[in-house]
Amino acid sequence: MNYSAAVFGSIGLLLLLAIAWLAFSGTRRRPEQAVRKGGRERECLHISSLPQIKQALANSDFIYLEQQGYPALAKRIRKERRRIALNYLACLRVEFEKLLHLARMVAVMSPNVAVAQEVQGLRLNLEFSYRYYLIYFRLVSGVAPLEAIGSLSNMVSALTIRMETAISELGERAALVAELLPHNRGLDAGG
Amino acid sequence: MVTNLPPFVQILWATSITVQLALCGILIYFRHFRKLPFFTAYVCLNIAQSLFLYPIYLHYGAYSHTAMLAGWWSEGITLLARIFATLEILHVVLIAYRGIWGLAWRLLATTSVVVFVCVVAASWGDADRALMRADRGYHLIFAAALISCLALIRHYLIRVGKVYKVLLVGFCFYSCVKILLNTVLYDSLYQQRSQYTAIWQVLVISPYLIVLLFWGAALLRPLPKMREQQAVLPTSLYGRISPEINLQLQAINKKLMNFWKIEAQQ
Repeated sequence: MNYSAAVFGSIGLLLLLAIAWLAFSGTRRRPEQAVRKGGRERECLHISSLPQIKQALANSDFIYLEQQGYPALAKRIRKERRRIALNYLACLRVEFEKLLHLARMVAVMSPNVAVAQEVQGLRLNLEFSYRYYLIYFRLVSGVAPLEAIGSLSNMVSALTIRMETAISELGERAALVAELLPHNRGLDAGG
Repeated sequence: MVTNLPPFVQILWATSITVQLALCGILIYFRHFRKLPFFTAYVCLNIAQSLFLYPIYLHYGAYSHTAMLAGWWSEGITLLARIFATLEILHVVLIAYRGIWGLAWRLLATTSVVVFVCVVAASWGDADRALMRADRGYHLIFAAALISCLALIRHYLIRVGKVYKVLLVGFCFYSCVKILLNTVLYDSLYQQRSQYTAIWQVLVISPYLIVLLFWGAALLRPLPKMREQQAVLPTSLYGRISPEINLQLQAINKKLMNFWKIEAQQ
């Protein structure tokens, strides 16, 4: 078998896998996702109490514990910091998905859709996913330095304020879209 | 009987024609032909192709030049009908979402052109197998365009009626099988001419038969009612909200990027 046959054969197999995924993944995942998202959104309500969390993540506390000779406690705090950082990342993702979902709903309800806007949304989604998983795996594997985790709290703090403002601005319009849609998880093409 | 073809291949032929006739009967009995005229025409053309080729194979033989010409010409017509049938189903699915339909046909056209250029570039200069390569190219373009369109539908969380989903997946599955057969089987078995046609017939008809059975089962139920777009947002609202949302998404991305830079500096 030559090179061309191997390439076309692989493409054929990939397309077969893609259609199998599209055929079987769509309907089953949604309820699970909704449940998961519901849980996550409840957790993310605490994101508004950021000053306290930021204080808890401050480097000075960690350095102080190290200097005072409490390695076990320092270790526990390190774990906690990582968990908090991961939670922030997850909340960031929830916020991102909320906006993405809103963008999709608006597009679905619009008689005309701008290709450039949709492509940009898709590109941003891919970029976000790439960066999110990169940072996520670095945090999980412990490669990310603790200072960076501390910096993350600053980042999320600033972002949350901005997001909350943005969401409240969009809230009215989102409510309008939500009211117009039969349900927000998927649209029935006719049955 | 069809000359030069083993009995099991002839049985497959007969079964395929019977199932196609049954499917045609379902389309007429349940009045699906009103909603899916191009799909019905596609099924009818396939039956006509089988009935057209059968006497030619019988008279001239399965390996004759006449049989080959008749086979490829009739195949060309059914392949064209298949495009119209698929577009019809996609249109029915997306009729209530005008904006997304506009996006979908642009995506279909772009994917088709891009894959066409790639296929021509990859198959250039192989005149001996031109027909086989053209058939493979068609199925590759068809499957890639359809999958990209289904991915778009999934991206926008548009739920496709089960019947339409079965029809579209059936088309796509068969095209993927044809890509693999045209690639692997042709290259590995074409030298053994005596066996090639029989194996080819079995491997082409069997998946098509499976697809037909799934289509038949799905079409036994009434088709979902077509809905007009229930609530349409003014175009100006999309023009205002969409860039705004993209800016917000960009802001989150920038923050993530900044985090990454902070990490790199440590």
